[in-house]
Amino acid sequence: METAETLGELTCTHCELPIIENTAFCPECGYPEKGDEQDVAKFYAKRVMAKNKNMDAEEKIKSARNTLFVMAGLVMLFGFFSFFVNDDYVTLIINFIICCIYLLLGGWSKEKPLIALLLGLLLYITTIIISAIIEPSSLIKGILWKIIIIGYLGKGIYSASSTKDSN
Amino acid sequence: MSLVCKRCKAIFDTEIKFCSECGESISKHIEIKKIETINLIIGFYATMLVFIAVVYFIGDVYPENFVADLVIEITFALIIIGFSILDFKNILKLYSVQSINWRLLLIVIVTPIISSLIVYYFIEFVTFLMDNGESSNYFVSYLYLEHPLFWAIFFVAIMPPIFEELAFRGFLFNKLREITSSNLTIIATAFLFALIHFSFISFLWIFPFGLLLGYLRSKYNTIWLGVIVHFLHNLIVLMLDYYDYYKMLE
Repeated sequence: METAETLGELTCTHCELPIIENTAFCPECGYPEKGDEQDVAKFYAKRVMAKNKNMDAEEKIKSARNTLFVMAGLVMLFGFFSFFVNDDYVTLIINFIICCIYLLLGGWSKEKPLIALLLGLLLYITTIIISAIIEPSSLIKGILWKIIIIGYLGKGIYSASSTKDSN
Repeated sequence: MSLVCKRCKAIFDTEIKFCSECGESISKHIEIKKIETINLIIGFYATMLVFIAVVYFIGDVYPENFVADLVIEITFALIIIGFSILDFKNILKLYSVQSINWRLLLIVIVTPIISSLIVYYFIEFVTFLMDNGESSNYFVSYLYLEHPLFWAIFFVAIMPPIFEELAFRGFLFNKLREITSSNLTIIATAFLFALIHFSFISFLWIFPFGLLLGYLRSKYNTIWLGVIVHFLHNLIVLMLDYYDYYKMLE
């Protein structure tokens, strides 16, 4: 009797995990057990779309990570510039610290993309505001670049929140 | 914890990825909720940034103005309370007075003594390295008032611990906890806490201090320990500044 029961146990047509009798949709993959051909076609179309979205998300996270590395380079370059041209070593030290933070966050974003990119974005807007306090006109300077950088980081954050390995 | 399908309102006791009644993706709604939380975190932090920028501006226009100082402090408190109302139920839990044992009490009294001394001498050392001769003295900023010591304690040791703890270890901690693990939340709140102080050199000591406060909040689920540590830390640094000032006058 027992063997008959285990043999007769219902499994999902798609992912083959056991399901309860009379289930309309597989709770694991969402396969429409009671649907017609059209529903099944829709199910596969949705899966392909989700897969594409995930690949797209990986790309966006990668761009955001590269943005962090570019920021690290630019900050360090500016630090050297103010040191050699204006002999300003305080700015050099500060920029060196910021550069290190960007590099650390960039490296960390491989493992924890969501939190690393979020902190990267907040660090970036903090540096914008600090510059604006020191020199208000710096807020408008290169505003297009600022929007592009924020855009890349923001897209990376939203993409990271949708992939499951972000936790 | 039971899940509710957003579309057909069916209730499930086990963790599932798709609603078995209507086929709706459950993870999609979790994702939307996550994005809303992220937006709230960014919004909260950006509001604080803009507020601090305005504070700097006011400080330039009205230097040594008691009314301006008081208005700034009240506005800061109102912003933090305003955001906290969005998460009122969870934040209120952090204020429950739990039984504090002698070991905890010892920790919260000894730690700020150590941390404030390290910070104090570290600042002296950095100022010495930078040799601009201008050391920051918290007490001196309040000399223009009639009772400088009283107001310095109020503005440095009492108000910041209460509202910074509510902002970082209360609201921000709870919101970050919704999207990530507790260890990452401790790191992230400490990072942002250090960042908002607008000094990349003091980042080196505010960050570990934030880690400690975050750890206390995470382990004991109360905000009081952080408030006490923060209060004692600020008070001791202020008192050292106070002592320095009168020693300098002699």
